[in-house]
Amino acid sequence: MATEAVRSQVTAKWQYAFSRLNRDQPGITGLLTFSQAWMLATEMLRPKDLTSPESMTEYNMDNFRAAVAMLNRCHRLPALLETFLDNLRKAFHLIEREVQEHMTEYERTSETAIINRLLQRILQWYKAWAPPQDLGPTCLSAYTLNFQTNLFSILPSTFPTAFQSLCVSTLPSADPLVSIDHVTSSEPFWSAAEALGLMDRYDSIIASVGYEHIEAHVLSTCTGQWERSMLSDLRSWMADKVIPWMLVTYARNAQTPEEVRHLLQGVGSRFEFHMNKTLCDLRTREIFDIIIDFPDSMGALHDLKECLQRVDQRAALVQSLRRANRKRLLHPGADTKLILSQYVATIKCLRIVDPPGVLLFKVADPIRRYLRGRPDTIRCIVSNLVGDDENGDSLVDENEPIQPLQNVDVDDYSDPNWEPEPIDAGPEFRTNKPSDIITTLVSIYDSKDLFVKELQVLLAQRLLAVTDNDIEKIEKERRNIEILKIRFGEAALQVCEVMLKDMSDSKRMDTHVQVQKSSVVHPTVISRHFWPTLKTSHLKMPGQFQALQEEYAQEFNVFKPDKKLRWLPQLGTVHLELELEDRKVDVKVPPLEAAFIELFSQKPVWSMDELIEAVGSVDRSAALKALITWVDLEVLKEDAEDTFRLLEVSEESPDVPRERRAVVVSEDVPPVASAQQQQAERMKIYWKFIEGMLTNLGPLPLDRIQSMLRIVPGYDQTVEQLSMFLEAARREGLLLVRDGLWKLNR
Amino acid sequence: MKVTVKHWHAVAQWRWDTGSDADNTHPTNNEEEEGDVCGICRVPFEGCCPSCRMPGDDCPLIWGECTHIFHMHCLLKWIGTAASKQQCPMDRRPWVTAERRV
Repeated sequence: MATEAVRSQVTAKWQYAFSRLNRDQPGITGLLTFSQAWMLATEMLRPKDLTSPESMTEYNMDNFRAAVAMLNRCHRLPALLETFLDNLRKAFHLIEREVQEHMTEYERTSETAIINRLLQRILQWYKAWAPPQDLGPTCLSAYTLNFQTNLFSILPSTFPTAFQSLCVSTLPSADPLVSIDHVTSSEPFWSAAEALGLMDRYDSIIASVGYEHIEAHVLSTCTGQWERSMLSDLRSWMADKVIPWMLVTYARNAQTPEEVRHLLQGVGSRFEFHMNKTLCDLRTREIFDIIIDFPDSMGALHDLKECLQRVDQRAALVQSLRRANRKRLLHPGADTKLILSQYVATIKCLRIVDPPGVLLFKVADPIRRYLRGRPDTIRCIVSNLVGDDENGDSLVDENEPIQPLQNVDVDDYSDPNWEPEPIDAGPEFRTNKPSDIITTLVSIYDSKDLFVKELQVLLAQRLLAVTDNDIEKIEKERRNIEILKIRFGEAALQVCEVMLKDMSDSKRMDTHVQVQKSSVVHPTVISRHFWPTLKTSHLKMPGQFQALQEEYAQEFNVFKPDKKLRWLPQLGTVHLELELEDRKVDVKVPPLEAAFIELFSQKPVWSMDELIEAVGSVDRSAALKALITWVDLEVLKEDAEDTFRLLEVSEESPDVPRERRAVVVSEDVPPVASAQQQQAERMKIYWKFIEGMLTNLGPLPLDRIQSMLRIVPGYDQTVEQLSMFLEAARREGLLLVRDGLWKLNR
Repeated sequence: MKVTVKHWHAVAQWRWDTGSDADNTHPTNNEEEEGDVCGICRVPFEGCCPSCRMPGDDCPLIWGECTHIFHMHCLLKWIGTAASKQQCPMDRRPWVTAERRV
């Protein structure tokens, strides 16, 4: 039930609306002309089916303009636009039908041209339905927005993939013969895509097409190509192939070079970054093999260096290399020599990639720790130092100047060229002044003493192996020692000097003695205390050997009246000629072998125990080895177990070829105790003390034992060494350990 | 069988003939034994005195009539000091260098 007030309000509104539409025309003529204009305008704007003939209808633009002007006067343009957009929505099923048709066809054939056709067709629809310019830009943009919204809502989920493959098809081909025209020919497609708003919507798809293209190219051209720097090639490839594509994709409408530059700036640098990153990732994955290939992989290393400056992948590089090292290098299957040479190559490579050495420091740490745990690392390094490597390359670069070992230097505060540590350096990082390889290797261990010890042992072995006083070999050793003196310092190698002097003195002495009284014995006379501990033995040379020794010792005594000789019969070599009934055997053998055969010349059959008895006491296994040497030479024969008989007449049985024993006739046991054994020897001195304190004081912890031992003069062992020794004693059943307390096993 | 030695590359250590182990009959017994040390520098005779680098003829021993033996350089240095009063540092008897009984 309407009240009076409501009624009058409605009346007023009605009057107002009517007068606005009627525009003060007489009667309702104004209203009639308005409705004609409305009909005309809506009919003209109505989206029409392109496939039906009605779309061909031509309209008189003047009439339309007049109608619009009238509507505008009546303030009905917004309503007109609304109606138009509503009609647009209603008519969109026409486009949807075509989209579906095309997509079905595409899914059947996977032909990207169909998608291209579809885009062109949609563009046609878009243009046909667009309102005339007269309605103003607001109307046009509202239309565009609505059209795109509707379009996006009807595009099936398969469309982005299809669009992507269409983008891919526009890329320049890898085939250099296909001209660049292919790229420019795709321009209509890009224009259509842009007009339909697909560029913005599928921006990431287009970019990913570019990224994947670059990635594929980098991977296909650079994988395994390390000799040459690839970066410049890649850059020119980008300029030749990718930039034209980018131009047509992103900067079609640019008029001036400045505009092009502006448009391409963002995307261009993204693409270039991606190229660098892809290459960097690739090289990071390959780094281990690149290092193996060094120095044939210089190109790759320089590329990596350059890429790392653009791409922050340093941590990834370290991770990757550490992982590769752990997997491929630092395992029991790898030879120490191999690990060392790979370590040296790593040092050289990473110095190229990262001169401050932060990467190297991070990568080297696990290698160094692993090497420290290997028993033969020092031996390997030292034998390399003295050029003992029969097979292959020295770790040390010959061109590298020989210089003293450098100490880890503390920060020099007065250095005007001081630079702060690189930003990703860890707290442990020490600024590696470009020190030489040897310094780096030696610094694996805390002190160089271990190296010097090992060096002495090695030198002793080599010098004792020199027969006939071969001057050349000794000279070579002397040269080596001179070089090493520069590195390790004069004092450290004093002992080696004495050893070399012993060699030349022996030679001189021998020449003199030979003149006085010729002898087949040519001894090397060494200075005790200056040579590493030599393996002790109680070998006593029998028969003519002892006579020879005594004879020579006497001559020596005449030459050097205040000195005596003490023979070390287990060392050296003897050149023998055996005259058997039917043959002669000419051999060079170690002394023990010689001693045995001398015994056989006294009596043809010996048992093993008799033999050992006759030469003093020697190791049973050593004795067996010596006897087997003769058995292999077919001079002796094992009749019964442990009983050997001299074969005066050889027992050749041609039809049964003799099986060679597996035991190799060679001096494979080094005559000089290794540094490790010497260490154990030294420790034995302290065993009495340990035994005493454990007896008197009962069970003791390790620290306590160490602190008590410190009182002993000359005790210089670390806790670790002591602990190793105690552990060894425990294995031998001398000690027991419970709850960290050591006690005697009684 | 006849065994002929054509060449023997042997290895030996030299020792000063200090007379203490003159009996060469048991060479194995004192093989392990650390040799005697110089009473002044406490370095073995076969080593060298603190001012020398090469052992042996470059750093010889000196025998006293009191039977004490030292590195020659060590003793000469001692005798050179005023406090020594030309005495043997071991027994304080006047130092007389013994003729070597060769």
